[in-house]
Amino acid sequence: MNRTALVLALLAALWGGPAAAQSDPKAELARLKPKDFPTQPIEFTVVYPAGGGMDVAARLLAKYVEKWSGDRIIVNNRTGGAGMVGHAYLATQAKPDGYTAGALANLVWGDAMLRAQGRWAYTDLEPIAYLNTDALTWVGPTEGPYKGMSVKEIVQAAKDKPGTIRVATVPGSMWEYIVEQIEASSGAKFLRVPFQGGGAGIAALVGGNVDVAQGFYSEFRGYLDANKAAPLAVAATSRMDFLKDMPTFNEALGSDQYTWQVIRFVVVPKGTPADRKAYLAAAVRAAMQDPELIAEYQKTGAFFDPKLAKSTDLPKDLGEYAERERAFYVQTGRLK
Amino acid sequence: MDALGSLGAGFAVILTAQNLYLCLLGSLIGTLVGVLPGVGPLAAMALLLPVTFTLTPVGGMVMLASIFYGAMYGGSTTSVLLNIPGEAASVVTCIDGHQMARQGRAGAALGIAAIGSFIAGTLGIVLLTFFAPAISAAAIRFGPPENFSLMVLGLVCTLYMITGSPVKGALMIALGFLGAAVGIDVVNGRERFTFGFVNLTGGLDLLAVVIGLFGVTEILANVEQIARGAPLAGRIRNLWPTLADWRASWRPILRGSGLGFILGLVPGGGPVTASFMSYALEKRLSDTPERFGKGAVEGVAGPESANNAAVAGSMIPILSLGIPGNPVTALLLGALIIHGIQPGPLFMTQRPDLFWGIVASMYVGNIFLLVLNLPLVGLWAQLLRVPYYILFPVVLLLCVVGTYSANKNVFDLWVMLGFGIAGHVLRKLEYDLAPFVIAFVLAPLMEQSLRQSLVMSPDGAMILLQRPVAALLLAASALLVALMFRRKPINGGGSP
Repeated sequence: MNRTALVLALLAALWGGPAAAQSDPKAELARLKPKDFPTQPIEFTVVYPAGGGMDVAARLLAKYVEKWSGDRIIVNNRTGGAGMVGHAYLATQAKPDGYTAGALANLVWGDAMLRAQGRWAYTDLEPIAYLNTDALTWVGPTEGPYKGMSVKEIVQAAKDKPGTIRVATVPGSMWEYIVEQIEASSGAKFLRVPFQGGGAGIAALVGGNVDVAQGFYSEFRGYLDANKAAPLAVAATSRMDFLKDMPTFNEALGSDQYTWQVIRFVVVPKGTPADRKAYLAAAVRAAMQDPELIAEYQKTGAFFDPKLAKSTDLPKDLGEYAERERAFYVQTGRLK
Repeated sequence: MDALGSLGAGFAVILTAQNLYLCLLGSLIGTLVGVLPGVGPLAAMALLLPVTFTLTPVGGMVMLASIFYGAMYGGSTTSVLLNIPGEAASVVTCIDGHQMARQGRAGAALGIAAIGSFIAGTLGIVLLTFFAPAISAAAIRFGPPENFSLMVLGLVCTLYMITGSPVKGALMIALGFLGAAVGIDVVNGRERFTFGFVNLTGGLDLLAVVIGLFGVTEILANVEQIARGAPLAGRIRNLWPTLADWRASWRPILRGSGLGFILGLVPGGGPVTASFMSYALEKRLSDTPERFGKGAVEGVAGPESANNAAVAGSMIPILSLGIPGNPVTALLLGALIIHGIQPGPLFMTQRPDLFWGIVASMYVGNIFLLVLNLPLVGLWAQLLRVPYYILFPVVLLLCVVGTYSANKNVFDLWVMLGFGIAGHVLRKLEYDLAPFVIAFVLAPLMEQSLRQSLVMSPDGAMILLQRPVAALLLAASALLVALMFRRKPINGGGSP
């Protein structure tokens, strides 16, 4: 165990490259390790079911945190209420002793602002490390009247014939907010068909039951490859490396407001001792500089937001994104 | 021909010592979690998910899939022996399976369940082997209106399950709908009936409800019987199904296979719905429906076949489209993604080794399960000899562990206890609990697909009649309701 670690550290040092450039993560971890921690496995709480996008990201992370720290990590799915139950658990019940961390998505903000009803706030959870980002993407049909249309043409069509273009959405989430934004600024009117997730929407698109589906790259990649769905636009600040042909909503529709993405990060409950928090953060950072983990994340279609990946004050930088979301809720009358 | 060649290649992938071992291991674990009341395949698979990282993608998938269908084999065991379903998909098996056990025919019930499961599972895989692309092309066209009509048909079928007072049965169905409404509204995302409790935002957990209504309730009933000094279990007579059992069972097994397979294909269908509908179908088709509920072997053969065929059916959307229809297949999808594989329409052509390897392993796994389960029948039947004062505390403990392990939420245990007590009271008042469960399962899907259909439709509810498949399913439902009213005077003097 220790010998492998030593060999790995040596290899990393010899190899040079990005790992060594940032100072050696192994040494960093050894320096930050508290004397009495950890003496038992650490739980990474995932608030969505096993097998979903967040779960996959968390389990891959756990594997590499174990590799770098040598500590035992258990991924635990505390599910229910589209994340509400797990979020509330982390914010109000989990012990802030370093043995519980949450592998979360920024959907926690919407839960905290709109649904927590003052029972807890997202500031009850302290972000310690950034993982990756997935941007919401629209895909269109490869058959029927809307085949081959650009996102601009589809929005125009929804303006010319209001309420005829069927878009798959997930109620009470960014899937719905982006449709709302487009409608508000273009005067178009879509027919919003509610689904429980991106995958169900893509299936409905291929089955001819909706005209536009929304989801993440990993959910529709198979359909793009099979030419059963066509990429329309991505709600990110720049184009995706693996889909250079697909414009961003901002360039296609001439705006800067269409940024809807799932940002994944790790939190600990407020009040976790500073030394344990620093150690956990270093362990996740060590995993995140491992080229193998980066490659695994890229395979799932995720990318890395430079602002967050290079952040020196993560709570502040994430907080800015959260405040932007709050502004949207206030502007749309969801929040006072 | 082509499929046969590919299947051959799949067997080549699977017939290695390691993959066979994983298949056997998964089958064993599946049988075990099936047998243990409360502990379900989903919790077991989630627990073992990290283990599959260290395996090859084929090996990991083979093991996880075999846990899934293995649980369908094991699920009937405690239903028959203890009147406590091992899985939600084995709830209906309790009705006649346990009556058979009381008549000393536990072995026959378990034997029929195992062999029916094997036949249905294998038939399902044969269909999967030869028709997966064609079936998936048809399945993906199945939209919200078709889904809604299918759920209506499912609900109508459950009307046939009601024993005793129809008013009480209808009341339980209504309560099932009400119970399912708790949580977040699927269409507008708002909370309903949560009364400010965070734990209710997730709705009432199906597993907690089923374990409460059937597990805890049964334990309470038995405790009461023991207190009154009533006799415990009947003697075990013949261990194997008789020729008469076979004669009665082969048609239900085949019908259950077909029905289960089709329901497995549909999002939200799956083993639970399949088992209920099969039971209702057999009761409807039977010349002697009055035998149902009193130990009719068809009531075991049909549902136990249907839930296995549904597993094979539910593998089609996941393997040929990458679309999970239920939480278990969603987990299988995640396991593939963790290995960097994203199944989609091209999965079959891009990764034939994986696709055909998994299909081949299902043939092998079903044989393993039959061989495992038949000799176990005798062993399980011995379980009835265990004194109740040992057996029931253990079962109750398993109920608690299983319910907690699904979501890791203590609140679910209170739900289980609450439904256990409510179930005990309701049973004393002669209310049927099964209609509650099926309504509870169907309601969210029905609600969502109806509201989706209405949103999609320019002509309101007419969309349900404009789409041919949806209209056909609704017509079938109407016919079944009409037949039910006709049957009453013939039976004469039956229920009011």
